[in-house]
Amino acid sequence: MIELDGVSKYFGDEAAVDGISLTIPDGSLCVLVGTSGCGKSTTLRMINRLIEHNAGEIRIDGHQIRSFNEEALRRRIGYAIQNTGLFPHWTVSRNIGVVPRLLKWDRVAIERRVEMLMELLDLDIDEFADKYPHQLSGGQAQRVGVARALAADPEILLMDEPFGALDPITRSSLQAELLRIQSRIRKTIVFVTHDMDEALRLADYIVVMRAGRIIQQGTPADILENPVDEFVETLVGGRDRGLKRAALTRVGDMMDPAGADACVAAPVVTSDDSMRLAVSLMLWHGVSELAVVDKSGQRVGTLPLSRLVNEAE
Amino acid sequence: MRRFLPPLVWLTLLLSAAWLMPILQPVFRALTPDRSTVIYQRDTFFSLLSEHVAIVTVSAVAAIIIGVGSAILVTRRSGEEFLPLVSQLASIGQTFPPVAVLALSVPALGYGAEAVVVALVLYGLLPIVRNTLAGLQSVDRGVKESARGIGLSPWQVLFQVELPIAAPAILGGIRTSVTINIATAAIGSTIGANTLGDPIISGIVNNNIAFTVQGAVLIGLLAVTVDSAFSRLKYRRRVR
Repeated sequence: MIELDGVSKYFGDEAAVDGISLTIPDGSLCVLVGTSGCGKSTTLRMINRLIEHNAGEIRIDGHQIRSFNEEALRRRIGYAIQNTGLFPHWTVSRNIGVVPRLLKWDRVAIERRVEMLMELLDLDIDEFADKYPHQLSGGQAQRVGVARALAADPEILLMDEPFGALDPITRSSLQAELLRIQSRIRKTIVFVTHDMDEALRLADYIVVMRAGRIIQQGTPADILENPVDEFVETLVGGRDRGLKRAALTRVGDMMDPAGADACVAAPVVTSDDSMRLAVSLMLWHGVSELAVVDKSGQRVGTLPLSRLVNEAE
Repeated sequence: MRRFLPPLVWLTLLLSAAWLMPILQPVFRALTPDRSTVIYQRDTFFSLLSEHVAIVTVSAVAAIIIGVGSAILVTRRSGEEFLPLVSQLASIGQTFPPVAVLALSVPALGYGAEAVVVALVLYGLLPIVRNTLAGLQSVDRGVKESARGIGLSPWQVLFQVELPIAAPAILGGIRTSVTINIATAAIGSTIGANTLGDPIISGIVNNNIAFTVQGAVLIGLLAVTVDSAFSRLKYRRRVR
């Protein structure tokens, strides 16, 4: 658990972060979101003491972070940044193994850990282990960056706009990957982004920041339903919110299971698809009803347009 | 070992030239028929060569330690304030002709090898400082930040990340510095050091071109040998 308690950071007279308090429970993915210069990155970097806070307390599992040796603290916290920060003179496997080596794991254990992480991040060992960072695409380099951050099996993972420099398709696949990995390893993740769509997709909990303060925090649904002011409303997309909320809802939660036997020759969605995709399919095919199937392709229900209008009100 | 073949060939040539110069007497006789001695004899070429190499080696080691050290210091947070000063000095100093540096060190230190070494250290510092600074400053900020962020200590960041990445640039600076100083050390003969410059100066003073050629050939071979050795010192983990 990470707790921030009245934390401030001043650069000269200016407050970059101004008395924020925040609790991030174990195993949750918390996204700090806001426009540039709002203090979200500074907040993140205060947690691993790359930036020292001026006031307040930051605690990890109840212990003040100042009570730890800086390096020892950082080796317990994974860190991934936008331009990956991979060491250009080291191979992929050496890059991934750097923190275990600092922690003096034995060679075999490091090797096994690196292989396991490359597998987890879908990096072919034979193809990538001996490549240098400049031989990788942006997406591959970022996978290596995330693997490096996870190398010593830290309880906490800090990610500073890790997917910000990637093209939309790669970004989206890495977001899916992160969610898949998180469902397996359950780390406490603090993720910084300026992209509200990314925040809505990834977060268990969203913290909206502006000018060094937290202006709203809550679950993605909360933030969408009840933005506290115009600023947050703009961030979540204003009148586009309907589609954003649809993107958070599973088809399986909205469908009519009773319609499973009905024989409609309709376009097909799976129950794990988002409602956003379902609406898009209806618009594209010009129909008011979709057939819902499960992963194995078994018909499990029907999704009529009326259902979604009534539910959404 | 194969990659060190060219410098080894040059080294063999250099050493045999130093040993066997007297055998070439007929050649030099033909070059200067009106002279009684055509081979420089005040010292053996071999002892001149070893003193020349000793002077260059001592000054190069000192220049590397001081140059790399000061470039590292001014790129740390605590030495930041001196960065503009040091990098300015390094660029301005480079515009001084080596002879001027040599001439300036005599009033300070008198005649002899010490004055030459000091002058060579001063002059040899500049390319090393400049290249080390350039190399260290070329290390990506994100790389340094993530190195700190994943838990490397400042020393580990320096030795495992910054210096290896800057190594090709630093090596280039050392190569320039040493090569220039091999040539500059010859001028040291004018202020009382025994170097391969002796036969050259003596040849000029006595109007005996044979001496001058002998000194020049050996200095040339020495410079080529050292430069060729540096060009083979490639880093296995080269950064593009």
